[in-house]
Amino acid sequence: MIAMDDLRKQFTTGRGRKARTVTAVAGMTLHAHDGAITGLLGPNGAGKTTSLRMLVGLVTPDSGTIRVDDVDLRDDPQGVRARLGVLSDARGLYPRLTARENIVYHGRLHGVADDVAHARCDHLARLLEMEALLDRRTEGFSQGERMKTALARALVHDPANIVLDEPTNGLDVVATRALREALRVLRDETGKCIVFSTHIMQEVQRLCDRVVVVAHGRHVADGTVASLCEQAGTDDFEDAFVRLAFGAEGPSR
Amino acid sequence: MSMSNAIRTVFLKEVKDALRDRRTLMAVFISAVLMGPLMLVMLSSLVGKYEKRAEAREIVAIGLEHAPTLRNYLERQTFTVKTAPNDWEARLKDSKLGDPVVIVPFDFEDELAHGQAPRLELVYSSANSRAQSGVGTIAQLLRGFDQEQASLRLIARGVAPGVTTVMRVDEHDIADNASRAAQMTGMVPLFVLLAVLYGSLNAALDTTAGERERGSLEPLLATPASRMALVIGKWGAVFAIGLLIAVLSCLSFLPAQSLLRSESLAALFRFGWVEAAWFIGLLAPLAAALSALMMAISIRCKTFKEAQANNVVLTMAVSMTPMLNLFNQEGESTWNLWVPSIAQTTLMNRVLKNAPIGWLDVAPSLFVCVALTAAALMFVSRQLTKRAAQ
Repeated sequence: MIAMDDLRKQFTTGRGRKARTVTAVAGMTLHAHDGAITGLLGPNGAGKTTSLRMLVGLVTPDSGTIRVDDVDLRDDPQGVRARLGVLSDARGLYPRLTARENIVYHGRLHGVADDVAHARCDHLARLLEMEALLDRRTEGFSQGERMKTALARALVHDPANIVLDEPTNGLDVVATRALREALRVLRDETGKCIVFSTHIMQEVQRLCDRVVVVAHGRHVADGTVASLCEQAGTDDFEDAFVRLAFGAEGPSR
Repeated sequence: MSMSNAIRTVFLKEVKDALRDRRTLMAVFISAVLMGPLMLVMLSSLVGKYEKRAEAREIVAIGLEHAPTLRNYLERQTFTVKTAPNDWEARLKDSKLGDPVVIVPFDFEDELAHGQAPRLELVYSSANSRAQSGVGTIAQLLRGFDQEQASLRLIARGVAPGVTTVMRVDEHDIADNASRAAQMTGMVPLFVLLAVLYGSLNAALDTTAGERERGSLEPLLATPASRMALVIGKWGAVFAIGLLIAVLSCLSFLPAQSLLRSESLAALFRFGWVEAAWFIGLLAPLAAALSALMMAISIRCKTFKEAQANNVVLTMAVSMTPMLNLFNQEGESTWNLWVPSIAQTTLMNRVLKNAPIGWLDVAPSLFVCVALTAAALMFVSRQLTKRAAQ
């Protein structure tokens, strides 16, 4: 379970007179439960990635609390990281290592024994249909192959909580469907808590049990797709999102 | 996960990664490992040529037919007289002629016979190092002729030649063979120093700025491994690669010795297993400090290219400062042993000269290198999180 409450973060760019303060996150609240896929839906620049970076401890929030399985990030950042499997927007691989070596390396850093990490790697390869890739060096991998490897790397330690930041970026239809299927399996068979950040409506509609809508760095609404449509007073989820995120008048042009 | 396990995991991964980068390793191998011995062999063939010229006992002259007495003297000294080619002046300037030229005036014999001092010209070009090296020998040879003639004149007048000699100078060269050779082999420490530098440079960049550029740093920091464990593991790998190249570079001078073309240089240049071990021992702390410093510089950079540009100052400083030693005529100063890279070259030169090295000589640079390493690693660890999210 992941609970982020009233997170706030400002960045200062430049120095002296040229210093400028940018508010990236201004009151983000997200509660994601086990055995469910929670969508974090927001337009570009809404603060999704910054929020997820705060969750992992890469960015320190100015205020607010983050708890993962009842472990507070401030008290035990390493404990929180151990409970998370994160596929961030930076999903670089080591090109001179094979996919298996990339995955096992992260497993070892998560404290997983070597033989267990190899076994997990084989299991995930079956789940993500990437067995043929395992012993190839990742140099020259396609976007989809890279994503699968990065996802397996994020899941190698069998974390209870999975955080995916725009995982379908750059993927074709087949790869996107395969990813969706894998996430369903993880939710239904192992009861994982999955947070899925995106700006694509269809993905949210097809996959998410609950949706948290964010805009301008803060949480503006949450609920199931149907309840959000109801809140916005429309049948069309895209219209509902625009109304909730930007107000009744829509985005400023 | 325990810190030591994390360090080991990162270390093994980074070493494997670096060793698989065959192209870069080959480039480093050629520039850092093969270049040194190659230069030494080329230098030795140059010295060999000088030696051959000295053994050949030749003198190049114009108009020696006007000076049979001088010619007689030269032949008695077992010198072979060669007539200068017509375009000798141009050839001397272009360094195509490797001997200074003696010009004898047509009335030399006549003036000599009448007790007038005939004027010889010894022509050379200071830009032509080959010809210049022979000037001393030829000048001394001509002075010998002058003294012989003067002595004969004194004897003819019934004066003992010893009257004109008020003292004698006996020259004693106290440099032993090893330190004489060290003048020629002073470049060897420079080459092994460069090997350390370029051996670890690529790995240092790849594990820091490279990791950020390819987007693998953020996932790495999302693991529960402590920042310090990541940094120490990475540094350990960079240090190991740098040291490996340094060891190869040192060992490459062992077979290079047998290829030396100059006999005297080959006899003087003593570089055996003991010297190689000394070199490696002296270079290890420097390799440690340089690896950490290069990582500290690169961790602030967003791309590999930016990191390369930022490291230029460090690589220049490390490779250039020991050159001061080559030009420094005043010998070693105490501060030399405190400055990394200058300290190591100074001590390596002592090894080549077979001079004693005590703990007190090694301690200053060791202390500085350890302090630099610790400070740089702490800096990298602090920067790691700060820069990852940018």
